[in-house]
Amino acid sequence: MKVKLKNVFVIYFLVSVIGLMYALLQLGQPCDCSQHLRSASDLMHSKDKKISQLLSEVKRLQARGKGPEPEEQALPIIYAITPTYTRLVQKAELVRISQTFLHVKNFHWIVVEDSPVKTQLVSELLAQSGLRFTHLHTETPKEHKHKENDPSWLKPRGVEQRNLALQWLRENRELSEEGVVYFADDDNTYSIRLFDEIRSTKRVSVWPVGLVGGLRFERPLVENGRVVGFYTAWKPNRPFPVDMAGFAVALQLLLANREARFDLLAERGYLESSLLQSLVSIEELEPRADNCTKVLVWHTRTEKPKMKQEELLQKQGLGSDPSIEV
Amino acid sequence: HHKKMITSGVAPKVIQNYVYSRPPPWSETLPTIFVITPTYTRPVQKAELTRLANTFLHVQNLHWVVVEDSPRRTNLVSNLLEKAGLNFTHLNVESPQSLRVGGSWIPSHKPRGTLQRNLGLHWLRDSFNSTQPPEGVVYFADDDNTYSLELFEEMRYTRRVSVWPVAFAGGLRYESPVVSPAGKVVGWKVVFDPNRPFAIDMAGFAVSIRLILERPQATFKLEGIKGGYQESSLLKDLVTMDGLEPKAANCTKVLVWHTKTERPMLANEGKHGFSDLRMEV
Repeated sequence: MKVKLKNVFVIYFLVSVIGLMYALLQLGQPCDCSQHLRSASDLMHSKDKKISQLLSEVKRLQARGKGPEPEEQALPIIYAITPTYTRLVQKAELVRISQTFLHVKNFHWIVVEDSPVKTQLVSELLAQSGLRFTHLHTETPKEHKHKENDPSWLKPRGVEQRNLALQWLRENRELSEEGVVYFADDDNTYSIRLFDEIRSTKRVSVWPVGLVGGLRFERPLVENGRVVGFYTAWKPNRPFPVDMAGFAVALQLLLANREARFDLLAERGYLESSLLQSLVSIEELEPRADNCTKVLVWHTRTEKPKMKQEELLQKQGLGSDPSIEV
Repeated sequence: HHKKMITSGVAPKVIQNYVYSRPPPWSETLPTIFVITPTYTRPVQKAELTRLANTFLHVQNLHWVVVEDSPRRTNLVSNLLEKAGLNFTHLNVESPQSLRVGGSWIPSHKPRGTLQRNLGLHWLRDSFNSTQPPEGVVYFADDDNTYSLELFEEMRYTRRVSVWPVAFAGGLRYESPVVSPAGKVVGWKVVFDPNRPFAIDMAGFAVSIRLILERPQATFKLEGIKGGYQESSLLKDLVTMDGLEPKAANCTKVLVWHTKTERPMLANEGKHGFSDLRMEV
């Protein structure tokens, strides 16, 4: 059959008009869309729920920024005692450990300067750190002080300063307050996880320390959840052959034993023992860090920066601007 | 506990919050800071990367590009990066023997980290379209330096290349660009070879992403580079001295320290090792 173009147009026109009239008649007619409505409504409800969940999450996070949540307030406070002394790298050291400490909940930094006065550098740094802190100072007596080029092991360092911090705690804290004390030297490196291990201390807890004692790590040896010995190659017969960074003490234990402190006259390597032996026996030690198999803290040491050019300049009276703090 | 610090009366704000080991939420409007860190296996590596991560967790919109000097990506670095919570990219390229940091006591005088930094630049150029560059800046952060949080806010809005003082570089308390009263860099306050085109330490400058993408031939040069000229070998292809943007209160504040970590004394490990190698340090 031959289809004429004219006929095609006519048919098209008729179909369109009929369709249009049908649509016009349908306008305003009720239809059964309840199924669609219901599923759309469900979808909206679930989106609403998601939105309110997200909103409350946002509120929670905002509140976090404002202060501790109720369950955080119950967390024992970790008191980190950091002895420090003025030298070129001091500010850098304090800056970088403060950046780690900012990640620790319920943290209280006790910084004790080896100094007759509180220095401006440390005062300002602490004020800007964002941390809760106590700033103390005491000067190491001359005969116990290191001279410029003394090797680091010659005399025990930080003893008077740590003891002053212990004294402050004893004068300012009650037995009822839950807390744990950790001795955090300013040149070590601390992982965030370490502080979870510290937090659960009941009396004295211990864990491995990396890069110390001439070894990749030193650590307590643990059997059936108890410390039975120590893995160390240097003076293993010390009562407690652990590094300062390798243990923490419950605040209550220190408050109950007011005479326990570090011995200024302790032989090299015996500083930690001089405190611990009056507090706890080896059997009572609490092993942490997966039964002392993980290294969560490293005994790093920072090089003394070379100042050859600075010294040359200073001889010519052209040293760097001392008002620019380094 | 929330504290804001306004620096030098102008824009950059440093927010010090209790962060609890997650970075601040990513912002769609803040320029990204791409930090390129070359690293190599040695006893203090994990400690260095750990404390760097703890620092970077405070910086918003930071993307850490870690490039190992290694034939393969190591488990130590992979695991650390995965657990850290930061945005990261993990790359590796092995330096040929002559450039490698050796085990000897004599420090190598060859520039270190060059291939690794260049790989980081290459990744950036591969990942981003130069016609629609992301807002951001590239910073070369070695794994043993110390960085203040303020530093990152100073560099964030770099338009081309920004510069600032670095403590303990070049045998001085600090090395610094010399800034004219008009706010332009006119020289270098350094003692070690002040005639270098850019007498500045790796930690003392940052480059905008846009500029990196615009100049694909700009890389650190490997051959014939005297000690102290690494930085110049890159910067000369990117900018001239008068195009530099001085930061840190016209280069009067120290916000980064060229610290170096002592090599730990491991004598008690002896020739054949003593401690359990299964314990990662």
